[in-house]
Amino acid sequence: MQDSRPTPANAWKFVWEDHPSVRWGTFLRMDFRAMLQGDILNAPVTPRGADDESWHLTRRRIGLDATVWRHVDFHVERELETDVEPWREVWGNFRPLEALQVRGGRFKLPMGLDQHTDTEHLDFVYRSRAGAVLAPGRDRGVMLHGEVFDRRLFYEIGVFDHDGHHAHTTVPERVMADRTVAGRIRVRPLAGFGAGLADLEGAVSFTTAEVEEGQPAIGGRTALGLPFFSTNIWVNGRQRRTGVEARWRPGPFGAQAEYIRLTTERLGESVEDTDLAPYLVTAWYVSGTWLLTGESKSGLLVPRRPVHRGGVGAVEIGIRYESFAFGTTAHDETPSLSPRASVIVGNRDRLLTLGVTWAPVRWLRVQFNGVRERLDDPAQGPNPDAPTFWSRVFRLQFAL
Amino acid sequence: MTRRRVLIALLAAAGSVLVAPSLARAQTADDFFDVGTLQEVRIFINSRDYALLRARYQENTFYPADMLWRNMRVRNVGIRSRGTGSRNPTKLGLKIEFDRYTSKQKFLGLASLVLDNLWQDPGMIRDRTAMAMFARMGQIVPREAFCRLYINNVYEGVYAVVEPIDTTFIARTFNETTGYLFEYNWVNVFYGGYLGAAYKPYKAMFDAKGHSGEGDAKIYGPLIDMFKEVNHEVDAVWRERVEGYLDLNQFVTHVAIESFTAEWDGLAGYAGMNNFYLYRHANTNRHRFLPWDKDYSFLQIDSSAFLRVDENVIFRQAMTFPDLRALYLDVLEQCARSAQEENWLLREVQRMATLITNAVHQDPRKPTTNARFDEEIAWLQEFARLRPGLVLEEIARARSGDNVPATVPRGIASILWRTYDRPNPPIRR
Repeated sequence: MQDSRPTPANAWKFVWEDHPSVRWGTFLRMDFRAMLQGDILNAPVTPRGADDESWHLTRRRIGLDATVWRHVDFHVERELETDVEPWREVWGNFRPLEALQVRGGRFKLPMGLDQHTDTEHLDFVYRSRAGAVLAPGRDRGVMLHGEVFDRRLFYEIGVFDHDGHHAHTTVPERVMADRTVAGRIRVRPLAGFGAGLADLEGAVSFTTAEVEEGQPAIGGRTALGLPFFSTNIWVNGRQRRTGVEARWRPGPFGAQAEYIRLTTERLGESVEDTDLAPYLVTAWYVSGTWLLTGESKSGLLVPRRPVHRGGVGAVEIGIRYESFAFGTTAHDETPSLSPRASVIVGNRDRLLTLGVTWAPVRWLRVQFNGVRERLDDPAQGPNPDAPTFWSRVFRLQFAL
Repeated sequence: MTRRRVLIALLAAAGSVLVAPSLARAQTADDFFDVGTLQEVRIFINSRDYALLRARYQENTFYPADMLWRNMRVRNVGIRSRGTGSRNPTKLGLKIEFDRYTSKQKFLGLASLVLDNLWQDPGMIRDRTAMAMFARMGQIVPREAFCRLYINNVYEGVYAVVEPIDTTFIARTFNETTGYLFEYNWVNVFYGGYLGAAYKPYKAMFDAKGHSGEGDAKIYGPLIDMFKEVNHEVDAVWRERVEGYLDLNQFVTHVAIESFTAEWDGLAGYAGMNNFYLYRHANTNRHRFLPWDKDYSFLQIDSSAFLRVDENVIFRQAMTFPDLRALYLDVLEQCARSAQEENWLLREVQRMATLITNAVHQDPRKPTTNARFDEEIAWLQEFARLRPGLVLEEIARARSGDNVPATVPRGIASILWRTYDRPNPPIRR
């Protein structure tokens, strides 16, 4: 390791590239981040009530990325004006080698392609249900990770307090997993094959943990966050997630798909205190995007011809189809709403999202999405008389 | 050897073909409510839920369970604690809803079932006997039978399985699905007076079943009008107007049967009206009464056939009409003679006692002793022997214009009033 401490010649310096940045030679680098984002919804029912088309600020976030001595990274991210888990991510990473790194703090468990995509890089206004609900999200833990074989294989394995903030709950009857082990392996098998193929990536992941007796915290919610499946069933035992994901971004095109399966045992939960078939939640999606203005999909979305230089900015269209289903692994009797039924009356939301994204300049994005949802059992959903409903959302996002 | 085995196998197969139809015969509600059978009903409930059900017996929270009767297992039913005076944590009164968690699930055509803990009747057969009397007089009553109840394979005692009076019952008995059914909840002493035009006091007493999407005017309007018309001074149009809202003949018959069975907590109860449902037929404004919970019947052998009946406004007004008064006496007489006919009432008491005595003696949760139960059965037999004669004597006096209660035969006065050492009627203020 070389001594990277600054000399007088390369001391403090302010740089503005992708983000405003302060550097002290190569010894210290601090990138400052900020995000302001607001939405307008138009839907039959919204979390704020029907016919609410007012403007709502949904993100007011600041953050800091720092690197010290080339081998230690820090990341801090805070949501402003919220009392609910305002410190979104706080972690440090020590990387003596690229192949062997240790991260500790609060950060995302290694599962979910969509979940691990930063908000300012999402193809659509809302994350997929797999990414937004079923992937664990953030929690406190420590993780060993690294990249080997010339960045062809990436591994992550960690231990966390719980199974992520998506399962956090304040309802006493709801339970989230205890200490969770999570791991993920990503491969880029064609990393050396040129730009078109090098980006092809696939991954598998898992989480495993014990869940105390109670009702699971992860329930069904529509794209707008409205419940369509209440998990008033009893679980007890081991909870497992398995995930498979793939992504390819040749030129201006992007395609990705993901599947996550969550099972939670129901040990001793039948009416005769015997075991029941596990609670099962599955979610998957496939999506495709096309940057009409020709920018490369891999990497940051920087308009070739931004508006302030007389261009039209970057314009992308996208489509995503997904499924989000709840039930049990058994199918051997009449489904029931009983919290102790072997086969529960589940529900499934099938979503089609059509989106347009316009980035007039590097730091500004305007998105418009139409989301068509269809519930197998609308009686459990927000609008019992309508199995199919459309939601429209307009988003304005400023991100440094 | 092989041939012999084949022969045995063929014989066994033939035998099973002959026997199987009777074993496999579909069970019916008539089988379940067969009064000649002590049924065995088993409930399976998660031990955690069972502990909560017992601990929170005063709540109406449903818990998931399975119910097993014979070879019929009904999965994923809802079960909760029930009862008012009978509700207790020792011997749970229970209600089962078969469609609570599984849409449209039924058990032998029933959407729900009451498991009556028989807590307030040390003889345990009063309700069943009184309902048999109502049925014998042509009244519509819920079906019921006795059972040994097991919860998680532990014997919980003798219960009565009772068909609830609900929309399913109405559909079965009246073949109607759009009528209005009200469960009477005792709130205060109510003798059938007019409480004004506001819905609130009536809604507190008369719990409408179904029709949740309809307004109060449609549900309660005719009921309030009924009490308004009843409470008018009897004049030339009273009968016609009241008949538009109430089947007076049925009402008088109902009161007469309760009088014969010495019911202390019925339409002419010690604390006003109680223990009934009111049903308004579809597309009419006309109501009728349905009997419910007769645990306080057969309390006094020499109870007057006219005891407290004048307190009830409806009955008092109705008795000013000679034909209704004659009907009242006729029904009383029919009850008495029917009870005497081949000792029907006595045999009914004996038959039911024989059916359940062993099970009651083994009942670990009953509130009384075995000796107390045996004593009560003996007393009910005495009631069955003496009551018809006393009532017939009183009817004869009434028809001759003398309303003095019947004379008590010497030597039995000490057993005429059966309230000692048993749960007294709930005190209502």
